[in-house]
Amino acid sequence: MANIEKYNQAFIETLEVTEDKLATLKYHDVEAWDSVGHMTLMAALEDAFDIMMETEDIVDFSSYEKGKEILKKYGVDL
Amino acid sequence: MEWISERRPAEGERTMVISGCNRGIGRAIVEKFIGERYHVIACVREADDVFRGWLSELSQRENVGCAICQLDLSSEESISKAVKDIVSSKVKLDVLINNAGVVTKGLLQMTSIQSIKDTFQVNFFGHVQLTQGLIRMFIRQKGGVILNMCSVGGMDAYPAYVSYGCSKAAMIYFTKTMSQELAPYGVRVNGIAPSMTDTRMREQMGEEANEEILRRTAMKRVAEPSEVANLAYYLASSESSFITGQIVRIDGGM
Repeated sequence: MANIEKYNQAFIETLEVTEDKLATLKYHDVEAWDSVGHMTLMAALEDAFDIMMETEDIVDFSSYEKGKEILKKYGVDL
Repeated sequence: MEWISERRPAEGERTMVISGCNRGIGRAIVEKFIGERYHVIACVREADDVFRGWLSELSQRENVGCAICQLDLSSEESISKAVKDIVSSKVKLDVLINNAGVVTKGLLQMTSIQSIKDTFQVNFFGHVQLTQGLIRMFIRQKGGVILNMCSVGGMDAYPAYVSYGCSKAAMIYFTKTMSQELAPYGVRVNGIAPSMTDTRMREQMGEEANEEILRRTAMKRVAEPSEVANLAYYLASSESSFITGQIVRIDGGM
């Protein structure tokens, strides 16, 4: 599976959103992306890409697009 | 992290991580959990041959896996490395026991801020950092147990224990807050608050403090490390499945 597919899949499964909503999705836009959902999403992404994010990056991960920038730091190109 | 046994955790088997386990309460906890067929990742600052030999013997006797992970709670770098080592081992963790700690003694007016910070680094911040790193594993697997070694010293005031007592009080609040934050993921978090226990720490506290604590204790004796280990095992087991956010005193009636 391509990286972008894995990335999208983590959002879709964790936050129960459809793919067409992803591009503009931000923290708290949907009910499932609360603090609990956020940690579940981070765990899913770490699992999918076999990485460990720094706490600062977990805090900064405020949207679908911002997440792409952050994952680049960990060698994940999307 | 170095496995000292050929045996590794298999699917369906249980694994615990513990900090500070080459003596005292930590050692007793390792013995108890290995006796109950837990695999153990033992985090210690230095693992000498005696410790390795003891752990290896226990591991062989009970046919469980044991690994030693170097961890210096006074160093953020060391903690980060330990987290990375444990996470990358891909072992499914069931229990994390934040046990390591130091006792520092001194009246407030004779205690430097640096000394208080040093105590907090080991007794509090180090555990916070280690836990922050490892809870992702629990969140991912939607379950687990975290036990924090607190102390009656974090609840009851004793002269000359300002930095130790405050660091343990911080652990108590940490335990309660974490239990609220992690409950949605099926993770239970509890604290154990022993009074004086028959360990090297008891010797470090001095005769006067020992006598004062015995005077306050209804059962007129100190705790055995194995008694604290039994409580830890209970709180880690499914027998305590509805207990979270609690600080359980084990103090012989104070």
